[in-house]
Amino acid sequence: MLKIKNLHAKVAGNEILKGLNLELEAGEIHAIMGPNGAGKSTLGNVLAGREGYEVTQGEVMFNGKNLLELEPEERACEGVFLAFQYPVEIPGVNNTYFLRAALNAQRKYRGEEPLNSVEFLRLVREKLKILHIGDELLHRAVNEGFSGGEKKRNEIFQMAVLEPTLAILDETDSGLDIDALKTVAEGVNRLRSPDRGMIVVTHYQRLLDYIVPDKVHVLADGRLVATGGADLALKLEEQGYAWLEDGGIATLDVDSVGHVASP
Amino acid sequence: MSELVAQLDSALPEHCGSGPEWLKVLRKNAADEFRKHGLPTRKDEAWKYTGLGALAQVRLASGFENRISAATHPAPLLEKGLQIDMLDGQLLQEIGEQLAGVTLLPLADALKFGVSGLQNLLESLSEPASKSGSTNGFSALNSATLDSGLVIHVSAGTDAGRLSLIWSTRSTDTPLLFNSRICVILEQDAKLELLEHFESPDENANTSNIVLQAELGAHATLQHVRFQQESDKAVLITRTEISQQADSEYAYYGFDLGGGLVRHDVHTALKGSGAKSAINGAYLLDGSRHVDNHARVDHMAPGGFSDQYFRGVAGGSGRAVFNTAVCVHPGADETEARQSNANILLSARAEVDTKPELEIYADEVIASHGATVGQLDEQAVFYMRSRGLSEQEARQLLTTAFCRSVSDKLTDPVLREVISERMMAVMPQAE
Repeated sequence: MLKIKNLHAKVAGNEILKGLNLELEAGEIHAIMGPNGAGKSTLGNVLAGREGYEVTQGEVMFNGKNLLELEPEERACEGVFLAFQYPVEIPGVNNTYFLRAALNAQRKYRGEEPLNSVEFLRLVREKLKILHIGDELLHRAVNEGFSGGEKKRNEIFQMAVLEPTLAILDETDSGLDIDALKTVAEGVNRLRSPDRGMIVVTHYQRLLDYIVPDKVHVLADGRLVATGGADLALKLEEQGYAWLEDGGIATLDVDSVGHVASP
Repeated sequence: MSELVAQLDSALPEHCGSGPEWLKVLRKNAADEFRKHGLPTRKDEAWKYTGLGALAQVRLASGFENRISAATHPAPLLEKGLQIDMLDGQLLQEIGEQLAGVTLLPLADALKFGVSGLQNLLESLSEPASKSGSTNGFSALNSATLDSGLVIHVSAGTDAGRLSLIWSTRSTDTPLLFNSRICVILEQDAKLELLEHFESPDENANTSNIVLQAELGAHATLQHVRFQQESDKAVLITRTEISQQADSEYAYYGFDLGGGLVRHDVHTALKGSGAKSAINGAYLLDGSRHVDNHARVDHMAPGGFSDQYFRGVAGGSGRAVFNTAVCVHPGADETEARQSNANILLSARAEVDTKPELEIYADEVIASHGATVGQLDEQAVFYMRSRGLSEQEARQLLTTAFCRSVSDKLTDPVLREVISERMMAVMPQAE
């Protein structure tokens, strides 16, 4: 589904990604972990097409299409969804209105009829039920005055409605207390599907207690330096990222590459 | 402007000649003031950014010659409530049935027969309430020719419901200047919702000089919507002067969607304790429109609350001027005053001049103010695009939302939608 080859990207003139390779198949969840400044958020932003992120080398193929040639809205319409680390507040734009406009823009792109407000509301109710979240967020402006937990829940809710084929969760756990984290993780788990790939970017292992990935990658200095199963995250939690500076992968006690741990 | 003075001189004897003595004195004093100062110029601080070149050819309208049918009059924004059409500053039709406790009279009749509180109200305009709220040439001209307009008197405890005033002017060969005065007297506990709507045919280059004065008795409530979608050449000079007694509430919602040259002064004096005023406005400028809004609140008694909230969008080579002032006078302790003005510039040729002013001479005052001029939030644009909206859709939605933050404050949901749709239809595009 997603093939990233030798990806190099610059932000404000600094090279952040330095030859990143990653392949993700439909139905898989990959976690990307790494220390601050490794380029975790840059990857999500490059994939979503944010301005100011300049790709200098490499390619990203998504379902056979060159993702990097597409505008951000075309990527969204092709099925890419970035759950923001810091969801943007949009005062005055009603959450429901915005989401319907977005969904209908995507439907139009795919040559489907737009949903009217009744049909849309039916869909929204169904998704809220699946995610076990109330409808209090629907009536407010997009993310305006939302708590950290509400913002992240709203991202997951948008994802549920837009049904992307590739979801990138950028530090969705940051700033969440344990209850909010569980709610968000449960939502993500309910959206697991054989047709959907997910990349979960996180600094801490904690989130992976609840969203168990198929693979864990360690991103350091713009490259993936280690790949393993879910238990790699536990090792990282025990040993931290200090080993990266002490000579890299060899010093990390990795014995689980390619192995998928059960939760 | 000397021509306007000459025209005033020839129009005045007739006006001074009718009505009670106090009225003749009022007209004469105003005429003297106008002869002395004329219309404001850019040398006046309050008119620094607004030149009046557009009025060079204007002639003072004299009388109301021939009535035309109401068929060309703009349709009301809302069908509900009583509707009064004003054409060229004058009432277009007889006033229909009235509610008990509500008196609606053409100003000329009210001046002839007398209405409780009217003399005080009219005379209060000539007293400069404050520095920048002082009478200006337009008000002097309006007072000197005082005759046409409307008086709305609501008795104590009466809810007068909604009254729509629909202003329009006719096309003429020579642009004309029309004066009109609206007087609103709300006795204690009285209520009124006043919806002013200004709309004239295209190519219409007349000047309307309209003063609205309102006296709000204790616990009275006035909701005042001023919506204008004037023609591109129209000159609209409006002044709203409010006086508030204890615990009264004044809410203003201004929407400037059109006009060539527009100047609106809204001023409220909170004279009784616990009075509240909310002054909200949105202005959307495109083409070469010039829209100048001046809002001022004088807190003159303790425990008052005021909130001024204005949002502006300027595209093309539009120019917006916004001045918001709050003065908390000695003794107006425990006042809370807020001011907020934000503007979005959509083109490099558009201009916004915004200035908040705050003067505090009392204790335990909570005050906040802010004024910004900027572009759209690019983070928000990207966020919306990342969900599938095109860049243009995202920008349109953001600009509309920015202005909707004003219309969303309207209490009537139907009016909220009508006005927000009108705003969307004229929303300037980014360049």
